[in-house]
Amino acid sequence: MSQHHQTIILPPAGLADWNSVMKKLISEAAPGSTDLDCGDSQLGVKELQKIINSIQKSGLSIERITSSVPETIVSAKALGHQSNLVFRRTYKANQAEVPSTSPTNTKRLKSNLLFHSYTLRSGDDLTTEGDLLLYGDVNPGARISAGGDVMIWGTLRGVAHAGKNGDESAKIIALQLRPVQLRIAQIIARGPKEKPLPGLAEQARLVAGQIIIEPAETRFNRN
Amino acid sequence: MCPVAPNTRTILICSGKGGVGKTTLTANLGIALASQGVSTVVLDADFGLRNLDLLLGLENRIVYTAQEVLEGNCRLDQALVKHKQQPNLSLLPAGNPRMLEWLKPNDMQKIVGMLQDQFDYVLIDCPAGVEDGFKNAVSASKEAIVITTPEVSAVRDADRVIGLLNTNGIKPVQLVLNRVRPKMIESQEMLSVDDVTDILALPLLGLVLEDEQVIISTNRGEPLTLSGTKSPAARCYSNIAKRLQGENIPLIDPAKEGGGLRDRFLRLMQTKII
Repeated sequence: MSQHHQTIILPPAGLADWNSVMKKLISEAAPGSTDLDCGDSQLGVKELQKIINSIQKSGLSIERITSSVPETIVSAKALGHQSNLVFRRTYKANQAEVPSTSPTNTKRLKSNLLFHSYTLRSGDDLTTEGDLLLYGDVNPGARISAGGDVMIWGTLRGVAHAGKNGDESAKIIALQLRPVQLRIAQIIARGPKEKPLPGLAEQARLVAGQIIIEPAETRFNRN
Repeated sequence: MCPVAPNTRTILICSGKGGVGKTTLTANLGIALASQGVSTVVLDADFGLRNLDLLLGLENRIVYTAQEVLEGNCRLDQALVKHKQQPNLSLLPAGNPRMLEWLKPNDMQKIVGMLQDQFDYVLIDCPAGVEDGFKNAVSASKEAIVITTPEVSAVRDADRVIGLLNTNGIKPVQLVLNRVRPKMIESQEMLSVDDVTDILALPLLGLVLEDEQVIISTNRGEPLTLSGTKSPAARCYSNIAKRLQGENIPLIDPAKEGGGLRDRFLRLMQTKII
């Protein structure tokens, strides 16, 4: 039997009586450990520390912090907590809304694209269940991973993992592809030694069990 | 919240990796700023392994430390050590290295708040690493200078530190590239300035050339900028201080720095021919 696990869900940011709602949530929680779901609140280190302090003061310990906002996750990581990026709208729920006959199949893009517009620096880790579009670089020592495609409008110098849940059709696309390591589904490859030509966007995909790098396709739609 | 004097600049000098030149930069920048006429205080936030006092040659004049000020055992002006040759510069020594646990971010903010009332510049010498000592120092700072050397490991650590500074709302963050060897860059044995700024994506506040005089001055306890030498590193440090003050001084070009008289002569010849 798995132990019952509780989660404190942070009230939405704009709430007028935020403090009292939060107090009530904490007082109602069973003693022991809890997860903290920050929802879509964007929290800096100081704000998050305050919330964590108020929870810990009541004797609860925080096991994991989840949020759908990367900045909040980065703050949680900076404070040394185990944390995960959770994508709120699930793929399945949205799939039904898009007619399957639509000529350009944009289901994945529309429903499940996470857009992030900061450079990932050493030690940062950005992950999502759907496709991921990053406007910025992935520096050495940083990791980026997605259930679908990883698209980087910038230079990839760190580790990228596309199709982390096993999708072998997933691709890694970057304006400049200079990775330490590439992973697609279960396959892992070291980055190439030679530097790529400037001004040539490249993509990495799986062909017959091997990761190959080639000039990026200009058509992103999937069928 | 600490009261903040409107014009005081509180600058954290940090690097992540140890031994890349944080303390040397703090000491030299402190002297250079002071000699340009602004009152400056340097605060050693590296409580565990303090040596800013050594570099400034002030070790034997320390009586009280920041710790005693916070405990109320002495006044701030009793703990501040004024530099004899450069009275615009003061040092606030760190506490006893054996009592590391006493300092919390709150204490740090209190100390810096007191210093901000008296000085134009507060330079905080950050400890290496990204643990408690770093967090304490960050909590009291407003802007930062990240110093790194053109080495892969130092750049990697600097990158991590810049990420942490960004999440803590420190702005602006500027970059100093230390121990640049023009000859090695030319022969592509060392990361070039562009290689480093490509990754770190920060405005470059200055380059410091590799210079044996730095080691000599460190051992003597006389910062290079104090003695008024024409050594390459001394020139770089005082340029950084001027840029910090808003002066527009062009960066040195490593390609034009290397070599002795013969190289310079040859370059001169080439430029004349072309």
